[in-house]
Amino acid sequence: MTAPLETASKPSAVQHLGAIALAPVRLVMGLIDRPLRALQRMTGLSGMAIFFLAPNMLIFGIFVLLPLFINFVYSTTGGSALFLPERSYVGADQYQRLFDCSNYLDPLTCQEDAFWTAVSNTFWFVVLQVTLMIGAALVTALILNRNLAARSFWRAVFFFPVLLSPVVVGLIWRWILQRQGLLNFILYPFGVDPYTWLTDRTWSFAAAVGVSLWAHMGFYALILLAGLQAIPKDLYEAADMDGTKPARVFWRITLPLLMPNLVVVIVLALIRSVQVFDEVYILTGGGPGTSTLFITQYIYETGFVSQPRNPGLAAAASILMGLVLVVLTLVQLGLGRRGEKKGKR
Amino acid sequence: MGQITLSNVKKSFGNIDVLHGINLDINDGELVVFVGPSGCGKSTLLRAIAGLEKITSGEIAIDGKPVNDVTAADRGLAMVFQSYALYPHMSVRQNLAFGLENSKMPKAEIDERITEAARMLEIEPYLARRPGQLSGGQRQRVAIGRAIVRRPVAFLLDEPLSNLDAELRVSTRAELAALHARLSSTMIYVTHDQVEAMTLADRIVVLRAGKIEQVGTPLELYNTPANRFVAGFIGAPHMNFLEGTVSSVQSGNLVVALADGYQLAIPARETSLEQGARITLGIRPQHVTFGSGDKSIKAKIKLVEALGSETVLHTEVAGQKFLVVIPGQHDLASGMDIDLSLSSAPIHLFDKDGHRI
Ligand SMILES: Nc1ncnc2c1ncn2[C@@H]1O[C@H](COP(=O)(O)OP(=O)(O)O)[C@@H](O)[C@H]1O
Ligand SMILES: [Mg+2]
Repeated sequence: MTAPLETASKPSAVQHLGAIALAPVRLVMGLIDRPLRALQRMTGLSGMAIFFLAPNMLIFGIFVLLPLFINFVYSTTGGSALFLPERSYVGADQYQRLFDCSNYLDPLTCQEDAFWTAVSNTFWFVVLQVTLMIGAALVTALILNRNLAARSFWRAVFFFPVLLSPVVVGLIWRWILQRQGLLNFILYPFGVDPYTWLTDRTWSFAAAVGVSLWAHMGFYALILLAGLQAIPKDLYEAADMDGTKPARVFWRITLPLLMPNLVVVIVLALIRSVQVFDEVYILTGGGPGTSTLFITQYIYETGFVSQPRNPGLAAAASILMGLVLVVLTLVQLGLGRRGEKKGKR
Repeated sequence: MGQITLSNVKKSFGNIDVLHGINLDINDGELVVFVGPSGCGKSTLLRAIAGLEKITSGEIAIDGKPVNDVTAADRGLAMVFQSYALYPHMSVRQNLAFGLENSKMPKAEIDERITEAARMLEIEPYLARRPGQLSGGQRQRVAIGRAIVRRPVAFLLDEPLSNLDAELRVSTRAELAALHARLSSTMIYVTHDQVEAMTLADRIVVLRAGKIEQVGTPLELYNTPANRFVAGFIGAPHMNFLEGTVSSVQSGNLVVALADGYQLAIPARETSLEQGARITLGIRPQHVTFGSGDKSIKAKIKLVEALGSETVLHTEVAGQKFLVVIPGQHDLASGMDIDLSLSSAPIHLFDKDGHRI
C-alpha cells in the first residue's frame, strides 16, 4: 500500500507551495475587495470595465494618440522653432515640398532629394531584407525543428542577437567591418588586402541588410519554429506511409500549415524593416554619402540635427511613413482574420 | 498477399525496453486485434510493423519477405491513425488522392478509386469539404477511405474508434466488421477495449508490458485464459478471483480452503498440486447463480446495481470482493447475506504465479 500514499502526498506538497505563493495575493485581494465592491455598486458592471481599462487607455492616449495628433499639427507649421506657439501655420506646404519633383522617377530632381533617396533606399532595403529574412528564418526554423543534437543550444545561438541592444549590434559589427577589424584580420591570411567595407557604397548597404538580418532573424525563426512544432507529427507519418517525397511534403503539407505563422512573420518583418534605424545608424551613419540613408534617419536628422532644423518637414515625412505602416498593419489584420476563418475546425 | 510474420521482435527507446521479443504469425485476410492496457506497447508494435519505428532486433516479414530494411512506403501497408491524421487544409477528395498522386497514378484511376471508396463508406456528399467541416464519425470514415484507396497488402488501425462517442463506436464497430468481410484483406487492429477485441477479432493477441500473454480466438481467450491477467482482462465485468490453499487432493477432487475457512470441492483435472499450495480460483460473475448445497459459497451484499435486464451485486466472499451478475430483477438490498451456487460455473484455477492449471 505504499504507492497510493506516495501519490497522495505529492499533490499536498504542491498545494502547500501554492498556499505560500497565494498568501500575499490573498492579502491584497482582502484589502481591495471592499472598496471595489462599493465602486461596482455605484457604477454597475460596465462601469467597472471602464475602470479597469482606464489606466491603459490613459497611457495610450498620453504617449501615443496625443503625440500623433501633435505631430500632425507640427506638419502643418513652418520655421525652425521647436515650441509650437512660436511656429507659424503653413497649411500643406511641407507635404508639397516633399512631393515637389520635376521627374518622379529620379530622386535627384526633387526639392527634398534626401527624402526621396531615403525612400528609395528604404524600399530596396525592405525588399532585400524581408525576402532574405523570410528565407533565412524559414530555413533556420526547419533545421531547428529536426532532431539534431544540442537543439536547445542552437536555438539559443540563433535567438541570442535578438536580446542585444541595437546599439551593441551596431558597434559589434562596426568593429568587425572596420579597416582594422575582425573581418580583415580573418581574410588577411587568404591574401585579401585590408578593405574599409563600410566606406564602399555597395558593401555598406549589404552590411546594413546583413546586420539587421543577423539581429532579428532569431525572433522570426522562433515564431516559425513554434508554427512547425504545432503541426501534428502524425501528418508526416501519414505522408511517410504514402511514400511522399520530402519536397512534396514541404510544399503540400508543411508550407500550407505554416502559412498563418508565415503571414505574421512577413508582416512583422515588413513593418520593422520600414522603420529600420538604430543599428544601421550606429553601423554606417547613413553613409558613405547617402547610400544607407533610410527614412527614419532622414526624419531624425531633418527634425533634430540639420541646421537650421525643420521639425515641420520631419513631421510631414513621419506622417507619410505612418500611413504606409497603417496600410501594412491593415493587411496583416485582414490576412490574420482570413487565416482564423480558414483554421476553424 | 497479406501474411505478416513477427520473429522475436524487440524494441527499445534508449534504455527503456518496450517490446520484449514478440513472435506472431498473422494469416492472410485475418483480422487480428492487439489488445492490452494502455502503455503495454500495442502502438509501438503496430508502428514497427508499419515501418514508422525501427525495431531493435528480430525480424518482420510480409508475405515471406523480410522488411526490416524496407521503408514504410514500400511495405505496401496502410495505416489509420488514432487522430485520423487527415490533412486539415485539403478537401476530403484531396486527402484521398494525396497518397495515390505520389505514385504517379493516372488521374482517371485515382478518381475511380475515390468514387468507389466514397460509395463504400458513404462519404460521397462530403468529398468537397475539409476535415474541419466534418463530424468525428465522418472524419473517421475519411481516414479509413484514405487507407482503402491505396489497396494495401494489410490495414493497420490504431485505436480507430477511441475518439467517437459510445453509440457511434458501437455502430462503426459493426461497419468495420462488415468492411473487413467485404475487403477480405488482412487487418491489424489495436485497441485497449476488450469488448472491441471480442466483437471484431478473428484472433486476439493480448499484450502486457511488451510481451504476448496469449493468442487465440475470442472464445478461446474467454473460456480458457492462459493466465490470471488474460482471465481478468477479457470479459466484462472482469472475472472474480478468490485466493485459497489446497487442503486436500483426492482422485478427481480438489478441496480448496478459502481465506476464512470455507471449504470448496472442485472436480480437478490431473494436477501436480500438493496439499498447502496457494491457488487462485477464477469465476466469471455471470456464471454464478443463487442457491445452496454443495459447491456453494456465502456472500454478503455490499451494493446492488439494478440495470433492469440484469442485477449486478457487489458482494464479499471470504473477505474478498466478489461480483455477481444475475439476469432479471431481484429484491435485494445491501447488508443481506445470500448463498451463491457455483455448480454450473466453470471454475478456472491459477497457480501462485498466475498460470492456468
Ligand atoms: N518515442 C518514444 N520514446 C520513448 N518511449 C516511448 C516512445 N513511444 C512509446 N514509448 C513508451 O513505450 C511504451 C509503450 O507505448 P505505446 O506503444 O504507445 O503503448 P500503447 O499503445 O499500448 O498504449 C510506453 O511506456 C511509452 O511510454
Ligand atoms: Mg497506443
